[in-house]
Amino acid sequence: MKLLLIEDEHELANSIQRYLTGKDFVCELANNVKSAFDKISSYDYDCILLDLMLPDGSGFEIIKELKKQNKTEGVIIISAKETLESRLEGFNLGADDYLTKPFHLAELLVRIQALIRRKNFKGNNLVSYNEIDIDILAKTVKIKGNKIDITKKEIDLLLYLIGNENKVLAKSAIAEHLSGDMADMLDNHDFVYAHIKNLKKKLNEAGSSDYIKTVYGLGYKWQHD
Amino acid sequence: MTKKLLQKTSITYLIFSVIVLCVSAPLFYFITERLYLDETDENLLLYKNEFLKYSLPTITISDIPAWNKSNRNIKIGSFTNIAKDTLFYSAYYDALDDEKETYRELNTPIRIEGNQYNYSARINLVDTEDLMNSIAILFLTITFSLLLGLFFITQRLSITLWRPFYKTLGLIEDFEIDKNKQPHFTETSIIEFNRLNQSIAQLIERNLIIYKSQREFIENAAHELQTPLAVFQAKIDTLIQRKDVTIEQSEILSSLNDNLYRINRLNKNLLLLSKLDNQSYGDKQTISLKQVIEKHTDFFNEQAKAKKIHIETNLLETLETKSNPVLAEILVNNLFLNAIRHNIINGKIIVTIASHSITFSNTSGANALNPNKLFKRFSKINPSEHGTGLGLSIVKKIADINHWVITYDYSENLHSFTVTC
Repeated sequence: MKLLLIEDEHELANSIQRYLTGKDFVCELANNVKSAFDKISSYDYDCILLDLMLPDGSGFEIIKELKKQNKTEGVIIISAKETLESRLEGFNLGADDYLTKPFHLAELLVRIQALIRRKNFKGNNLVSYNEIDIDILAKTVKIKGNKIDITKKEIDLLLYLIGNENKVLAKSAIAEHLSGDMADMLDNHDFVYAHIKNLKKKLNEAGSSDYIKTVYGLGYKWQHD
Repeated sequence: MTKKLLQKTSITYLIFSVIVLCVSAPLFYFITERLYLDETDENLLLYKNEFLKYSLPTITISDIPAWNKSNRNIKIGSFTNIAKDTLFYSAYYDALDDEKETYRELNTPIRIEGNQYNYSARINLVDTEDLMNSIAILFLTITFSLLLGLFFITQRLSITLWRPFYKTLGLIEDFEIDKNKQPHFTETSIIEFNRLNQSIAQLIERNLIIYKSQREFIENAAHELQTPLAVFQAKIDTLIQRKDVTIEQSEILSSLNDNLYRINRLNKNLLLLSKLDNQSYGDKQTISLKQVIEKHTDFFNEQAKAKKIHIETNLLETLETKSNPVLAEILVNNLFLNAIRHNIINGKIIVTIASHSITFSNTSGANALNPNKLFKRFSKINPSEHGTGLGLSIVKKIADINHWVITYDYSENLHSFTVTC
């Protein structure tokens, strides 16, 4: 998978690049509008990560340029701007997702995966991991072919964990993912433990391996031994 | 004691007038009496001179009884051993009026045919009591007219002359710096009031500019923090992936992560607050608060589960009201989470929707809270708690924007927040 990251904050760009590179992505970097224009006219990407405030212009210009060149790349805006107006403008221009800074790298990763899944959608929207099959549209999970009883939130958590395979996920990152807009109000992440416990139990009872590992003090990790 | 300005000046005027009148009335009396007496004495002397010049040469001793009979006020009597003109008061009984009348009398020695006699002329004086009464009545009339006049003039002045002043006062009273409504002062025909209006307008303008830049500063500061925070977050996310993290290090990382989360939360809430100040959530729609509650009930139940809190909902009405939907959600969520956050293990929460209000009641370890500090920014009940201290000020701000009223009540160990729409 090929990504283009357009971001002028080097430190952030490097961290994103490093995190994504470990997940079968090739991540190219552009740090201004001009070099972004050069890259999008020369190459095709699966997904573009776009900062809005760039030194030589607005990220919105790049979305417009993509439209002009009839490019179909998915665009995820990553911006410190949080106004409803900039969100709406982004979506109206054709952006697929909007992530406000600061965010967890794990969150960015699952958003990219979801976007690419939607883009490559061919009649079914399935995620498989060994004996586990998740049908995202039907909201069902099968283990070794047997459907299990699972809530929407648990499917969401499962996708998040599998998407970030081999990555340590902080409890706060999981909490934020599960609570969405409410995250800014939470000061207690104990509910994450309950969700992980339930999911673990359901997977184990259906005969799945124990992929969810607890990382001492930090959080959890999806790992195949 | 505070009074209206006009009342104060009127009272001063009145007191002054009364004092002047009180002092001048007796003075007026004495002067009048003096003048009157002088005039009377002059008349008596004139009579005497006339008598001496015209009557005396023609009078003989035998004429005296006839003279005395025909003249009531000028008598010729036996000599009383006086050397010159003598003026004095005397009183005679007036049978007609049945009272004593005061007279001014002039006695002087005269000679008729070589014999000494006493000439006595008298003039009836105005009764002192009558004079005093007349003057009293006169002055009372003046005082009363003054009072009446002042009262009506004050009334008129307060209506016409002071109208622009009260208008200005009303505008200032209605002015709130955090509402984007600048008072407009109209031109008046009075120089002082125009100056007052101009100064106030300038003052308000300056304050608005300062207030605005202050507000923008908070928003900009919070905004500028987002990017370094994003870098910070990304670095920690990267660091925790390392395989060689020791237990001690992971504890530090965990604490860093938790605190970073708090900073993020604080920053987002500050941004939200300054956005609320800037009124960038103007678009109101008809929403149902019941639906807002129901939308996130699962989430709240989940949050409450950790503390084994029992949630009881009495959603009797749909409670349709006008608000920006995002803001209504933030308000409800903040109140709901507050009820969970400050609750005790095995506690309870009661959510009630009535026809015009929504109430969140919860059990808590704390006693009654101070309603004056409750909605202030960063006023935490328990400083060690991980709240941002902004939740309730956000709630209050949203209530204000929608013209809702939020009240706090504590009874039967339940803390209740009621929003009346």
